Amino acid sequence: MACSIKKVFTKEELKKHDGSNGSAYVAFGGKVYDVSQSFHWRKGIHQVMHHAGCDLTEALGRAPHGSDMLDKFPVVGELMDSD
Amino acid sequence: MAKVAREMVERAGVNVDELLELLVNNAAAELTTYYYYTILRVNLIGLDGETIKEIAETARIEDRNHFEAIVPRIYELGGRLPESMVDFHNCSACPPASLPKDPTDVKAMLTVLVEAERCAVRGYTNICNLTAGKDHRTYDLAQAILNEEVEHESWFSEFLGEGPSGHFLRRGDTSPFVSKFLK
Ligand code: HEM
Ligand SMILES: [Fe+2]
Ligand SMILES: [Fe+2]
Repeated sequence: MACSIKKVFTKEELKKHDGSNGSAYVAFGGKVYDVSQSFHWRKGIHQVMHHAGCDLTEALGRAPHGSDMLDKFPVVGELMDSD
Repeated sequence: MAKVAREMVERAGVNVDELLELLVNNAAAELTTYYYYTILRVNLIGLDGETIKEIAETARIEDRNHFEAIVPRIYELGGRLPESMVDFHNCSACPPASLPKDPTDVKAMLTVLVEAERCAVRGYTNICNLTAGKDHRTYDLAQAILNEEVEHESWFSEFLGEGPSGHFLRRGDTSPFVSKFLK
């Protein structure tokens, strides 16, 4: 299991992956997912109102789907606790 | 634009510009699905394919109706369609329902169809949630479309062996829910 050291993202680091430079990461439940390849996250925007580079744990509660939608995307790290 | 119609929605607390973008993206999903379903339909041939051709055709025609029904609401609220059809295609709320590599694989065909319908069911549920009790006309429209999308999903999922849907094929005219917006 070489090279399996998990990256820990600060909120600022996560913010850099807002999709504007081709890399779209979203945080959910403490994990950071790479959704850059998703049709539904083109340019880092999902359903007009959700933006990559953010912690969307709370927002997912209002979505018309569950967190299993994230299962097929690679986990690239964890989100640092803000408190 | 229908000035007071828009004002009412704004005053109810809906972000109208966001709603308009959602409506345009969903209108794009409908028209592009109409196009992609045309290709699916002509390829639904042979003993297995012919079995689902009719529901694919009904779903295709109803998606075109959905496009026609959404467009007036976009303009009423002060929005508009993109000038370029390429841009319109690319802003679709759902991915292209592309023909599977092996068009004789009916299960792959059904999977494309059911996934397109599921994306639509989620999309219109969201528009209903955003407009419920606030934007009565968009809600009425999104709810009418949702009724038809749920039926589309059920037709295809039944063929995929997910259990009985409780539905029949359409008898009579298409779009029993959305037709009032087409008159
Ligand atoms: C009101 C909020 C939301 C709406 C209306 C919404 C809507 C949708 C829709 C319609 C789909 C397509 C599903 C299908 O094809 O059946 C989807 C997929 C997805 N959503 Fe959301 N969603 C919302 C919030 C979120 C949030 C907050 C996240 C992230 C934490 C998220 C992550 C995803 C992912 C990862 C997919 C799968 C993308 C793919 O398969 O390429 N969604 N969403
Ligand atoms: Fe539709
Ligand atoms: Fe449909």
